[in-house]
Amino acid sequence: MNEPLSKDGRLALIVDAIGAPHDPCEVEELELLAEVLADPATWEQPRPELEHLVVDAVADAEASVSPLPSVPPVRKASRRRGLFSVAGIAAAAALVVAAVGVLGNGSGSDFTATLAGTPLAPSAHASASMKRTNSGFRIVLDAAHLPPLDSHHYYEAWLKGSDGVAVAVGTFSSSDGRVTLWSGASPAGAKLTVTVEPDDNNQASSGQVVLAGPVQTH
Amino acid sequence: MPQSLREQTAVRATSAHPGALGRDEIEAFRQGDPHAVRAMYRRYGNLVYSVARRVLTRHDLAEEATQQTFVRAWQAADRIDPNRDPAGWLATIAKRVAIDVYRYESRRTAASFDDVAPNEPAVVSLPPDLHSLDATWQVRRAIDELSEDEAVVVRLQHLEGMTHAEIADVLGIAVGTVKSRSHRAHRKLATLLGHLRETTE
Repeated sequence: MNEPLSKDGRLALIVDAIGAPHDPCEVEELELLAEVLADPATWEQPRPELEHLVVDAVADAEASVSPLPSVPPVRKASRRRGLFSVAGIAAAAALVVAAVGVLGNGSGSDFTATLAGTPLAPSAHASASMKRTNSGFRIVLDAAHLPPLDSHHYYEAWLKGSDGVAVAVGTFSSSDGRVTLWSGASPAGAKLTVTVEPDDNNQASSGQVVLAGPVQTH
Repeated sequence: MPQSLREQTAVRATSAHPGALGRDEIEAFRQGDPHAVRAMYRRYGNLVYSVARRVLTRHDLAEEATQQTFVRAWQAADRIDPNRDPAGWLATIAKRVAIDVYRYESRRTAASFDDVAPNEPAVVSLPPDLHSLDATWQVRRAIDELSEDEAVVVRLQHLEGMTHAEIADVLGIAVGTVKSRSHRAHRKLATLLGHLRETTE
């Protein structure tokens, strides 16, 4: 591993390509460019999962401000408007059902899971809610008291089917708090587990399970 | 004779960015269209994340700030000018959000200083100044405009500190090819970064 280029070395690369600066302002500008190019933050790619999280966060924000279908007030029936009143009440009832349906689809979960800590993390626990969306199953995992990890390890969540095949549904590094994961396959009948994985490019599970629990149909 | 950085950037400052979203896509984002939100993220997610990562140093906090940035952008979407590239507007939101998260994390950890992790951003350093953050997102956007061949050379030079010969060895190409790609990439960067000073002064 090389030492990073010196400030002068980085500046020389730029000056070689575009010519020497003409004044102190340009020198300052080139120095800033060199500094930013040497910063890992400039080059780091966000995880692919972040795209889902962003789209989902905006959708959640939009849902939270969308007005609910309004239910017109049901008036007392009068003899003169009797027929229309019955129709009005029926329409109002249908709107109430529709409103309940919208609420049910927007805030409920299709599956849930309660995860307990294994002997590797006995004090850890978590709950998860899973909901079918157009993009797949959105899994919100709320974990607590997982052991903090060093920078060479991360957590990975898996859905393990009854056939024993485990499918990775996302990675995270926080030991407490809520993370959103995604699965293309239905969680029905599966077991949700969380493992500790070394940062070694090996896609297979390490087998170091810290949380596990069955998925329940909600 | 090569143009000065200022001469190269004068033209650049007044022209539209080649990768900017179209008017229709920006209008769709204003309407909350999920496809437009995805398109906005794919075009500007890297620069937003870079700003957040630069301020917060931790990728989990940077991801959180990135999500908040796009939510706030959508909430304020009626203020987007569909005739202008929204990169600067998004970057401004990203800076504010990231600094808010930074301050929140600083306060959260201040109560138990002994428990603060050694790499806690609030302990390691103050957040970068706004001028530096502007440079971050503009450089990131400029990098995204380079070809992959050019970007990898610049990254190996500036981030990994490799010489031309070392890069040639790693990439399996001639030293002359490395030099020409480096030269071309840096000239493009200088051009793409044309409005750096104008937007940060």
